[in-house]
Formats: sequence, structure tokens, C-alpha cells
Amino acid sequence: MFWKKRRLKKTDPQTPAKSIVDLLKQLKVNPDFTHFHHKGPHFSCWVSFMQTLVDVDYVHRDVFPYLYSNQVHCLSDVQTILPFEEIIRTKELSVIQSKLLEGFIVIQESENKPDCLIIPSIKVQGRQVEQTEIETSILGSHEGFVESIDTNINLIRKRLPIPQFQIKELRVGKISRTRVCVLFVDGIANKENLNTVVQRISDLEVVSLIDATMLALHIGDNNHSLFPQFIDTERPDRVAGALYEGKVAVLVDGSPNALIMPSTIVEFFAAFDDYFLVWPIATAYRLLRLFAVAFSIVSSSLYVAVLTYHYQLVPKDLMGALIVSRSSVPYDPVIEVLLLEIMIELLREAGARLPTKVGQTMGIVGGIVIGTASVQAGVASNILLIIIAMSALAAFITPNYRMATTIRFIRFPFILFAEVLGLLGIALCFMLFVCHLIKLTSLGRPYIEPIYPLRVTDMQDAYIRLPFNFQNRRPQFLRTGDADRTNPQRAREKVGKQSPDIDE
Amino acid sequence: MRRKVMVGVLSCLLLAGCVPTHIIDDILIVEAEGYDYIGHNKVIGTVTMPNFVQSGNQGGQGAGLPSTASLIRSLSVQTYNGKSLVDRLQSEGQVAIQAGKIRLMLFNLPMAKHGLSIQMSFRNRDPDVPRDLTLAVVDGSCKKLLKATDYQTQIPVSRYAQDMIMQNNTQNYPDSDLSSFLYAYFGAYMDPFMPIIQKNGDHLEMRGLALFNHDKLAMRIPDSKVFVFKMLYQNFTLGVYDLEYRPGRHIALRNVKTSVNYKVRHGNSASPDIYTTIHVIGQVRQAYPGSVSKVKTPQVARIMEKGLASDARQLVRKIQKKGIDPLQIGDKVRSFTYHFDGKSWPERYRHARFHCKVSVIIQQTGITD
Repeated sequence: MFWKKRRLKKTDPQTPAKSIVDLLKQLKVNPDFTHFHHKGPHFSCWVSFMQTLVDVDYVHRDVFPYLYSNQVHCLSDVQTILPFEEIIRTKELSVIQSKLLEGFIVIQESENKPDCLIIPSIKVQGRQVEQTEIETSILGSHEGFVESIDTNINLIRKRLPIPQFQIKELRVGKISRTRVCVLFVDGIANKENLNTVVQRISDLEVVSLIDATMLALHIGDNNHSLFPQFIDTERPDRVAGALYEGKVAVLVDGSPNALIMPSTIVEFFAAFDDYFLVWPIATAYRLLRLFAVAFSIVSSSLYVAVLTYHYQLVPKDLMGALIVSRSSVPYDPVIEVLLLEIMIELLREAGARLPTKVGQTMGIVGGIVIGTASVQAGVASNILLIIIAMSALAAFITPNYRMATTIRFIRFPFILFAEVLGLLGIALCFMLFVCHLIKLTSLGRPYIEPIYPLRVTDMQDAYIRLPFNFQNRRPQFLRTGDADRTNPQRAREKVGKQSPDIDE
Repeated sequence: MRRKVMVGVLSCLLLAGCVPTHIIDDILIVEAEGYDYIGHNKVIGTVTMPNFVQSGNQGGQGAGLPSTASLIRSLSVQTYNGKSLVDRLQSEGQVAIQAGKIRLMLFNLPMAKHGLSIQMSFRNRDPDVPRDLTLAVVDGSCKKLLKATDYQTQIPVSRYAQDMIMQNNTQNYPDSDLSSFLYAYFGAYMDPFMPIIQKNGDHLEMRGLALFNHDKLAMRIPDSKVFVFKMLYQNFTLGVYDLEYRPGRHIALRNVKTSVNYKVRHGNSASPDIYTTIHVIGQVRQAYPGSVSKVKTPQVARIMEKGLASDARQLVRKIQKKGIDPLQIGDKVRSFTYHFDGKSWPERYRHARFHCKVSVIIQQTGITD
């Protein structure tokens, strides 16, 4: 039987090369591995590098000429004559291997001896820093992270030109050894938070690490929770803001996202642009988002509950509209709702995976053709179509994509509970989610923090955003090393007493 | 723990079918009930259900045949007084009849004279019906009023009648719904009232107030005097009072604000003194030519004050004679009196002295001042 099939003969990718000869032999299989014997008049050596990882122009221009120089007679001469700040001379096989695969050149005097020089000549290839794709901004910086971790760190360091801004580099992945950097501002960031992050990342037992959001799922407090516990962002300015606030950020090589941790649930509904608007407007938009989310979660389940159990709640003038639009629908409200909800999810999924041009067609097909046609065919009611479309729209108002998917998903349990027990069911489902949220933590810090446990001072940047001069303390939630953002007393002294503009 | 969760989830799923559902388009939603008394404790009960779907699906171009297009609209039956009409008529329902959105209950005059105690006891017990449903006495037959098809409006008659009563409640008529009726019905030293409506040809109209002695109709107030009743009953705005100050000469006042204040002295004496102060701020809506001008405004206000006060006194004397208390004067006396003697109150009520002071301020007399 197929499960008795013998496994492929195990080849352990970890088998370490025993000697430099073994290593070279292993690498020679690859067509992009260059290994040749340089024979000069004064000095001859073996040069090896990965052609695809090394900046070849640079090697030809800045490295090879020195090998031909008549001052060079041995490897130490090469080391002194080459104008590089970082040349490693080593016999350590593991170092040689990892450096070779990072894009360094290895120069040996003789092919069989491990004594060699390692010269950096890494070719950096990747996307230019471009506009943000997911978290597009109207005001503020348009730079977004790219796939190269060094560029990303550069983008952040530009915004934090202080020595206290520190980076801890870790390697994750049994095979991939992906570079992961933990960023924090020393003295502000809570040590406990930092240690938790570092410990969780270094304890990770994975084969490879492809993306930062994947890392977030690995090191989250509750991996079964529907709610994302760390904010992922592609905006360096947001990361810089978070670091100044006392949070810890994590970057993963190859991923255009940074993780900000710890986070609370309200931060997922705050767009970074909120900080660029005057506070009443920013507050209004935040409240709008909050109501949109509440609407998005409960609107379709309320429709099911009211139409199935609580006809008494329908206002008299809406009664006619509801009954007329439902009169030709053959299904129960719950089937009708699930049908349309799934249709919207299909459209969204199809639209997200398709290229932009086809995606537009999908939108038209979905919105106009299926939407109106399903109503005319009598499969769904007009009013429900409006409700579902509104709630889909409201779900996407959430600035964070992962949170938006959560919001869309938790509608379904609500709908099922509404069908089973009506409004009581909605209350019950809400209770379950509240219980879950109360238990949830982010890096061990309470997830719904300004609400439970109640921290009134942290409310100033939660649902409402008070003006900046009210926000002169860092969030209590983060337990920062330095609680004050500014010295309020000094600030007050600078403002001084108000004096009339006009001399009387 | 896991087992407990499983039991919870399974019972939710397996018992889901046991909860009765009332899907909005699969039930007959009763909107109005009418009771006609025919003697010997028998009534003819009528219920009406609105029918929303007139034709095929809107914009459906023939597709999607509406399944609720031709639901029955009204049923009536002869039964004993106090029987729940919804239960009685369930056997005749095309789909389940539900009483959760009743908004109008009508009683004909014989029914009101016979007494509503059985009806009110049932209504007070029934958790299905809303508390804000409108009650009214019908001058004529409830069945005819509810089943008639010759109204000008296309709106179901239940809604038409209720809309009419509700809009009048914001003007001349005092607030009345089931909850306030039951309050006065069960409360001490007070009596309930409800409006009277009548079908007049192709439309309905308000015909004044029906005042009850506990549960039986005791007297009627004509439409023209309802303003005075409301003025004594509650603070209100936007009523219209028409005064015939000389035969054939009328002045009509719209009140911008009316406030009423009661004070009681000698509450436990044989003839308590009840002082009523009423402030009316109003604008002149219509006036006999030459009767109103800027100079004459105070005079007109005095005439108004006199007219209102005498009307109020007359009204109170009438209800005192009948021994009913829809203005809840007894309750006010009780609240002003220490150790109020409630037992002898019905007797003393008839001899209570009613003093009324009305002050009218005319703020505006129209465009031509």
C-alpha cells in the first residue's frame, strides 16, 4: 500500500563538509560556482565564489588587479594590500561555507589547505524603495519596505539617528539561516519585552522562514486565535514611531513587512495617517472605523436574527420594504445571507489573486451582474444585498489587512449563532469572543489593554486621539524605561502666560 | 472540559430546530384588532393583516414569483368576550398568525359601555403585544371600519387609523396608548380615556375623547373641547383652540407652549381646593376681520383667558358630576396631602372646588400685525 512505500533514502542536508576539499566538491555541482586557479608571475592562488551572489564587475575592477601586483607574494601580502576594511583570514570551515554562500570571495593559496582569505563583494539585488502597496498613505512618507533587510534597516535608521537605537541579529531556520533583526531603542524599550522577543525567536525550531507574518504566527502568544497579535506594517515611519514609543520591531530578510510588538487590539484600527490630521478629525475617523467594524460584524447576523425570530423589532415603515424584497426569495434568511456572504468572499478572493486588469472585470462581474441578477432572479433580497455590500465595505475600512480578514471571518459564527438562537445567540457569540479577547495576550501583555484592564491614560490614543500636548506620556501598557515623552513642566514654562496681542 | 464544550456545541446544534421561528414573510402579522359587542357577552372580533406585495417582484421582469403575493388580509369571527382573537383565528390562518406587531385595538361603543375589564386583563397578561399600541373607540362598527375597501388611501386601514390618531396626539389630543391606558386603569384615583374615531364615507375622522369610569364608557368630550382637556392634562405644543367670542365671530389660537400647574389646599377636607394655573403662549392663526391688531392684542388675550377658564371649569364640573377622574386630579390631591384619606375621596371629589387661572400671552398675530 502507498503508506508502506519506502521513503526516499534520507539525505541529510545538514551533513557538514568534513574538509575544504569536500566543500568545494559539493559546490562544484552548481553551475554558478566559480573556482579557478590564478597563476601570476609572483603569486598563484585559488579563487572561488558564487557568481550569482558576487558583484562580478567589482571583483574584476577592485580585487583581481591586486593579485597581479608585484608586491604580492603570499596571502598576508594580499590582505595588507587590498583596500578593504573587512578581510577575514580563517581556517574555520563553517565560516568559509557561510561566507561563500553570502557572496564573499574566498582566496586560497593551495586548493587543499583550509587557510584562506575571505573578501566581501556582495551583490545587492532587489526592488528599489517604492511606494507602499497595502498601507497606502495620502499624507506622510511614501516609502515602503523592500525585500532586502539592509535597505529596510537603512530606512529605519534614517529616522532614528541615535546610538541608543540598537539591533540584535539572529539567525532562524535550520536550513535557511534567515537573518532576523530585532530593533529597539535602548533605555526606552522594556527589557522584558525585548528578552521575550529574542528568546521566542532564538528558540524557534523551523526549517526555513520566508516572511515576517509567518514569524508572527510562529512566535504569537496564541497560535489558534483568529486575532493577529502583532502589527505588521510596511511603513518605516510607522516602525520608527513605534520604536520611539518603546516598542520592539522585528525585520526578516526577504520580507517587506516589519512586525511591531507588543500590540493591542485598538492599534489595528488606527491608521498611521491619523497622526497627521488634527485631532477632532482623526478622532472622528477612528470612531467611524470602530462603528464600521461593529456594523460589519453584526449587520448580517442581525438581519438573520430579526427576520427569523424578532419580527417585532422591525420598524413599521421598514416592514413593507423587507417583506416585499424577501417575498420572492425561496430560502430562509440564514441561507440567503450565507449565499451572499460566500459570494462576496469568492469575489474578494478571486479579485485578490488575479492581476489588476482582470481583477477589475471581476469587480464588475461580481458587483453588477451577480448582485443585481441574483435579486432579479429572486435568490436574494434587495435589502440584504445592501447590507452585505455595506458590511463588506466596512470590513475593508480596517487599516490592517490581517485584522480585516479576521473581521470578515468572525461574521460567520455570528450568523450561525443568530440562526440558532436569534438575538440571544448573537449576544452569546459576542460573549465568547469577549472572553477570548480578555484572555488573549501579546508578548504577555493584555491584548485589549486600554479597555481591560482599564488604563485611562492609554485611552488618549485609542478610540480617540487627543492632541499631542495631551500625549506627553508613553503608553502605560508598554512599561517603558522612560515614561515621559516630553517634560511637561518645561513645556508649560516655555509656553508661559498668555498675554494680549494688542497693547491697550 | 472538552466534553463539556462538546455537550454545549452539540446541544446548540441538535436543539436548534426546537426553537420556533417567525420568519418575517412566512407569518401573518396582525396589525389591528376590532371588537364589536353584540350582547350576551358575545363579540365579533376582526383582525387585519397588511398585505405588502401587490404584484410581481420589482424589477424582476416576471422572474421570481412572489410567494406572499396574495395572503389573506382580514378575518372576523364571533366568539365570547375575552377570547384571544389570534388564537381563535389561527385555524383560519393561511400561515401562522402572529400578534407581535399589533398597533391598533378598536372597540365599538356598545363594547365600551359594556366594559373592557376582560379585554384589559387579557391585554395586560399577553407578552406578545407591544405596549405602545393605540386604543380607540369606534363610533359605528369596528368590523365595517376595518374591512371597508372604499378608503381613499391605499395604505392598510390599521396603519391609516393609527397614523391619524398619532398625528392628532401631537396636536389637540392627549397622549394615549395601551401603556398610559393601563396606568390610569390600574392606578388609584384616576380613570382612563381613549380617542373616538369614526368612518365617515371614504375616510376616518377623530370624534373627540371617550372618558371611562374604570372600564366602562362614562362620557364623551366633543372634538372642539379636546384642547381644553389636553390643556388641563399635560403640557403641550401646537394645539389649536377656536374661540367663538361673539356669535359668528371666531378667533383661533395656536399654542406655542402650554404649561399647567396644580396646587391643592385642604386635601383632606370635605371640599378640597384645587388651584390650577395655566400659562398659554400662542399665536393667532385666524381672526374675524378687525378683531385683532397690535393694539388690541392684550384685549384678545383677556378674551381668550376668560373663554379658556370658563371652558375648563365647565369640563371639570361635568366630569366631577360623573364621578370620573381622567385628569388624575385625585392623584394630584394625594401627592399634595399628608395622610391622604383615600377611602372618602370618591365622595369628596364631587365637592372639590376647582379654581382655574389662565394667562394667555399672544406672541404673534400673523403677517399683518
